[in-house]
Amino acid sequence: MATVEERVKAITARKLGVDEIKMEDSFTADLGAESVDSIELVAMFEEEFGIEMDEDAALAVQTVGDAVKFIAEVCRQQGVEIES
Amino acid sequence: MRLILTDRSHEIRGKFSPLSLGRPLWDLRCGMSSLRERLVGRIRPGDVAYFVPDYMEEYYRTQVAEPVNDMTALAGHDLVILDPLVKADGLEISGKGKSEVGLDEQGRVLYARIGRGEVERLRGGNMDEFLASAKASLPNVACNLPVWQYTWDLVLANGEQLKADFEISGRSGIDGEVEEPAAIRGSRKDVYVAQGARIHPMVTLDAEHGPVYIDEGAEIHPFSRIEGPCYIGKKSILLGAKCREGNSIGPWCRIGGEVEESIIHGYSNKYHDGFLGHSYVGEWVNLGALTTNSDLKNDYSSVSVMLDGRRPIDTGSTKVGSLIGDHTKTSIGTLLNTGSYLGAMTLIMATGKPLPKYIPSFAWFIEGIATKGFGKGRLYETAKTAMSRRGCKWSAEAEAMWDAVFEMTAPERNAAIKKGRKMLFK
Repeated sequence: MATVEERVKAITARKLGVDEIKMEDSFTADLGAESVDSIELVAMFEEEFGIEMDEDAALAVQTVGDAVKFIAEVCRQQGVEIES
Repeated sequence: MRLILTDRSHEIRGKFSPLSLGRPLWDLRCGMSSLRERLVGRIRPGDVAYFVPDYMEEYYRTQVAEPVNDMTALAGHDLVILDPLVKADGLEISGKGKSEVGLDEQGRVLYARIGRGEVERLRGGNMDEFLASAKASLPNVACNLPVWQYTWDLVLANGEQLKADFEISGRSGIDGEVEEPAAIRGSRKDVYVAQGARIHPMVTLDAEHGPVYIDEGAEIHPFSRIEGPCYIGKKSILLGAKCREGNSIGPWCRIGGEVEESIIHGYSNKYHDGFLGHSYVGEWVNLGALTTNSDLKNDYSSVSVMLDGRRPIDTGSTKVGSLIGDHTKTSIGTLLNTGSYLGAMTLIMATGKPLPKYIPSFAWFIEGIATKGFGKGRLYETAKTAMSRRGCKWSAEAEAMWDAVFEMTAPERNAAIKKGRKMLFK
């Protein structure tokens, strides 16, 4: 199983059409995500990991690294197994 | 006599979704007034009390001065308990006469007349139990009173109701201000411009085929054409609108573009061009520029509407437009298919194609799919902002009611979101 970081980066790349993604990248400033993209990214992360995220908390996440941490924490809280 | 209006059946309320989600059925409109105003005007009770679904009880108390879900309101009065969907026209029920319960063919209570002496003998901790007790212990009378079946019935009847209401109002003439040049077609006695209403120059009021009633403080901007029968509510503004026949608009609406045979509740905006026909629009709705709906299929067949996201209902009519719930917003260029349902608190972002015919409440429709979007909190923030712009306040009671609607509508919304996610990953 791929790690949370690998899976988050793969989905982000697919959704935003960006080849190289770094953990410190901001979804909006560096990767060009519009608010609509953010909504779809949240939906795609939920589907990918089989989790439910609070919209406000999820959409407050700024960087790819923060998204990895946030998703890992939600997985832990919701008992979803992940590769660290 | 005290009139009791009761609206407790989830099944019947579902037939008037999404408009019923945020209001009792008697606050739906037809012609120049609400169903409640029509019934009260017809029956002329001493006073009124209401029984609403539990989830809107606290909110509705903030909206009316009369008792709400208060069983003590039954004692000490001769009562007429009425299903609010009974059509007021021709209704002959008075508080005098034998106690009895009027039932339709399916056994639904359409009315109950209960003398004050009988009230004490009936049992029930709530209105549902009380009515069941009345049905069990009082004489049952078969009756075939006409009732409103679905929201589109109100839309389709609106023109005729407008004509009747204008007649009943007894109003005629110009109490407001009509700036020249203005054109009044048809008989001037079929036009009423209320005090404080202003008709700008270059406006046509066409009463040839029905009356035009422009209520207090309304403002009609140049190049608007209003075709009767039509009612423009208090403080509404028409902005060069092509207002075709059969519209009930307002109060406090902003309307442009072309509107035909539609009912629009208060504080809703359709400021710009775009067509709205045979539609019922809730309050605090904003239709973005060029939002356009179809109300007639290309093959002229009868229109079907989905009220629950699962099963289409054949309306039996070739002309049905959109049902749009309270606080829903559409983006520029939104295209609505014939017989569309947009739930309450829905946010629509156009895709360039006609939308799916059913979009559940609280969905954010983005890039062609239903999503959770930014959640209900952001929708509430938008509602607060929109309301504050008109001097109205979002309340804790309103929020609690909409929270309940959010929960009630979760199954259909979650199903739509799930379907959307499958498309997202394709």
